[in-house]
Amino acid sequence: MVSFSLQIFFLIGILFYFAAIFYLLKSKVLNLKYALMWLFSGAIMAVIVVFPIILKKFSVLVGISTPSNALFAAIIFFILLILMSLTSIISGLNEKNNKLTQSLGLLEKRVRELEKEL
Amino acid sequence: MNAVITQHSKILVIIPACNEELNIKRVIDNLRKEAPEADYIIINDCSKDKTREVCRNNGLNYIDLPVNLGIGGGVQAGYQYALEKGYSIAIQHDGDGQHDPAYIKDVVSPIIDGKADIVIGSRFVNGEGFQSSYFRRLGINLLSSLIELCCGVRVKDVTSGYRGVNRKFIEIYAAEYAQDYPEPEAIISGAMYGAKIMEVPVVMHERTGGTSSISAWKSIYYMIKVSLAIIIYRPTLRRRYQ
Repeated sequence: MVSFSLQIFFLIGILFYFAAIFYLLKSKVLNLKYALMWLFSGAIMAVIVVFPIILKKFSVLVGISTPSNALFAAIIFFILLILMSLTSIISGLNEKNNKLTQSLGLLEKRVRELEKEL
Repeated sequence: MNAVITQHSKILVIIPACNEELNIKRVIDNLRKEAPEADYIIINDCSKDKTREVCRNNGLNYIDLPVNLGIGGGVQAGYQYALEKGYSIAIQHDGDGQHDPAYIKDVVSPIIDGKADIVIGSRFVNGEGFQSSYFRRLGINLLSSLIELCCGVRVKDVTSGYRGVNRKFIEIYAAEYAQDYPEPEAIISGAMYGAKIMEVPVVMHERTGGTSSISAWKSIYYMIKVSLAIIIYRPTLRRRYQ
């Protein structure tokens, strides 16, 4: 079973984690849309730290012999999820960037031609 | 090109150019001499050299992209221009001197006759002129077979950037066009939209200046990437153009 002091230590860590996210949100360097997945994963971490029995039940259920390994598997899963969503965000930005660049190029040509007529 | 062709169609030659200050003037001079009936547009894809100055000082018709998009995004800007200006046929023609504008009439005439929607100028139909290195040909053959396997169109020179399309595909390509290594993917998307694709023989030259967009180092990565793109293209197709 997880010791009480370790639980306190993890809880303090998670508090710092949330504080960092809220700081980034407050200083507007992080969009709420993209912060949601970080907040969500933080909430799950907090629940697991407060009720470690969940982790134990889960590891028995899927057949992982030590709960800590189940924890690592869960963490890796969430990191993969976050990375994938980052890639999809970048792809969307890339497409928008393409469209903007193309219409900017076409507009610049029109402006150049109009200026010539003046 | 005969008078009938010019009467019926407005033809635009799209010339993507990235760092082609040494070639672009000569390419346009050749084009005007060989195909005076066709209009042209140079897409200066944020060149780091003096391509833009060469275009401006010689009074060439050009679009200046403020950010480098790569060949796909550049050519797509050309299709958007063709759409905006109401051209009925668009020809892609490289700005590095590899393509000979004398073949524009060969690329155009099947489209005018209604025999094809997309025409690809191919080095390998007659096997004349610059044929590329052995390994590159091997790679092109592999991609060609893969495309035939995946979507049933037989095109020998799948990486040829010398091609022409009719109005329908100007509209489609203006709305969606593959970005990174677009030549093989554009063939598949054409096939998926039901294009009649035809190959006509052209003679290509070895490039005379500038650097190819595909260096030898990147060839293997290119093969893997394009093969994957071809395989997953059909199951993931989402039609944006209606």
